[in-house]
Amino acid sequence: MNSPGFVSVVIEMARQTAVLLLQNRLLWVVAVAEVGCAVIAFLLGYRPPRHADGRLLYSMLAWWLLLSVLMPWVTMYFAVQAIHGDIEERTFQYLFLRPVRRSALLLGKWLAVALFGSVLTAIGAVILFLATLPHAELWVDGVQWSVLTAFVLAGVCGAVAYSAVGALFAAWTKRPLVWTAVFIVGMQYFIGNLPAKAGIRAITVADPVRRMVLDRVEPDRRLARWLWPSEREFDPEVIGQPVWNLVVITGVALALALRAYARSEYDARARE
Amino acid sequence: MSAPPAAAPALRFAGVSKWYGQVAALMDVSFAIGAQVVGLVGRNGAGKSTLMKLACGLLAPSQGEVEVVGVPAGTPEARARLGFCPDVERLYERCSGLQFVAWMLRLHGAGAAGAQDRAAEVLTELGLAADMERPIREYSKGMRQRVRLAQALAHRPAVVLLDEPMNGLDPVARHELAGQIARLARSGTAVLISSHVLHELETMVDRVVLVHQGRLLAEGRVAELRGQVRGQPHRVQLGSERPRELAAQLVGWPQVQGLELAASSVQVAVNGEPGFYGRLTGLGASADGLVHEVTPLDDSLASVFGYLIG
Repeated sequence: MNSPGFVSVVIEMARQTAVLLLQNRLLWVVAVAEVGCAVIAFLLGYRPPRHADGRLLYSMLAWWLLLSVLMPWVTMYFAVQAIHGDIEERTFQYLFLRPVRRSALLLGKWLAVALFGSVLTAIGAVILFLATLPHAELWVDGVQWSVLTAFVLAGVCGAVAYSAVGALFAAWTKRPLVWTAVFIVGMQYFIGNLPAKAGIRAITVADPVRRMVLDRVEPDRRLARWLWPSEREFDPEVIGQPVWNLVVITGVALALALRAYARSEYDARARE
Repeated sequence: MSAPPAAAPALRFAGVSKWYGQVAALMDVSFAIGAQVVGLVGRNGAGKSTLMKLACGLLAPSQGEVEVVGVPAGTPEARARLGFCPDVERLYERCSGLQFVAWMLRLHGAGAAGAQDRAAEVLTELGLAADMERPIREYSKGMRQRVRLAQALAHRPAVVLLDEPMNGLDPVARHELAGQIARLARSGTAVLISSHVLHELETMVDRVVLVHQGRLLAEGRVAELRGQVRGQPHRVQLGSERPRELAAQLVGWPQVQGLELAASSVQVAVNGEPGFYGRLTGLGASADGLVHEVTPLDDSLASVFGYLIG
């Protein structure tokens, strides 16, 4: 047998990880949660907030339920499961014995998680949107599919970045779920919601994802306030380059994760 | 990949030391093995697993060199020539044995169909033909051990490392594993097999390496070492569904010094006279459930080491 090439190992590892993730019972919980969000959207459609149209109602729910809660927790949990699960259960030994580079193994796992997070987020965004459609009175100017596109795109980019951060915690730390919780609550909920003048928010995932959404939905003042409560006078100038910010966060997190994964002696007694 | 080239030893440790922080796990260990079966024996914590993980490249030596067929350990070339059966209970629980072994083969560069065929072939050789498509979570300890062994052998390595492969196996499974190891030896594969019980290795290895507190204590042919430790008592725990019946059978065996009965096991003090494990295998094979597990107790080497280190 010849040693497989780097790319084919990445693809094979992504395939194997995807099969394992598909067997994860959490998928059912995610499905129920996404349907639950859609039910909330459908019911709120009967008694929407004052002067709220379909765009505002959908954006509010998609941002605060899907992109702020479901996407980060689910994507990072899957990343931790896929990478740290092997380390915790010591099954990583079977992988590290193969004549392949560890970086290819990690990239494959990350790719599978990023894909999963993206697909789950996109499905969530779509069914949430569909749940608002029966309330035709909310869409007086017609259904704005561009709002759905904005959230799907932002969700996919966000899932890719969150999976990279999850991979970093999984490869680098002994308690990645604790770090995940600290990251989501501290960085995404607290720092990510600071006003635009707080530059530190740019190192979160939540902030560029929100700027991506705002860039595409062309919000009025009310919608901007719903999505970014701390920014009293939303100025389109603050949008900046959210995609680039996400690329940098993803790249840095992945580079650090690869370094940790390639060098760590996960079996050393000192770690235990 | 089959037998290692004659010029290079299958596995070579040269002045290897390994520290975990301030703790020395291995100190200046040097030995080499060729195409033979070598036992690596030492108490729990002696450094056996560390030695094996250094050979696999899972750990890097703090000092010294480890080579697999003349190639530095841990490189992809070395890993391609090496199979390791770790002492890890968990596998991918929801996968089937066949799927797991095929996945590992895919990472050796096998094509999808080739990996599936070879995985089925090696699992059949190991006696899992009927169960290879069942999820691993339904497997017994012995079946899991066969899957672990299969992933180590499937890519036809030149060197095979087995870390405590006898742990938790019943006498019949032990006998089958010994047969597998003998077949590997006949095919020219170098095998390093670790255990904390010298007795369970002595029928299957050509040579033994004894490690103690991270140092190489003794090395040589089994017969030489056996002569030194003959008569040393040790204890084993026999798992049984009918411990009273088992104890009744064991009473009167010349090798049995004492018996201790528990709810689902019998602890046996063995006096070191030969023949105990042969008779036990016969007993396990003749009555279903009478002996389903043999666990050597941790202190079973205490007297041996006490003797060797004075």
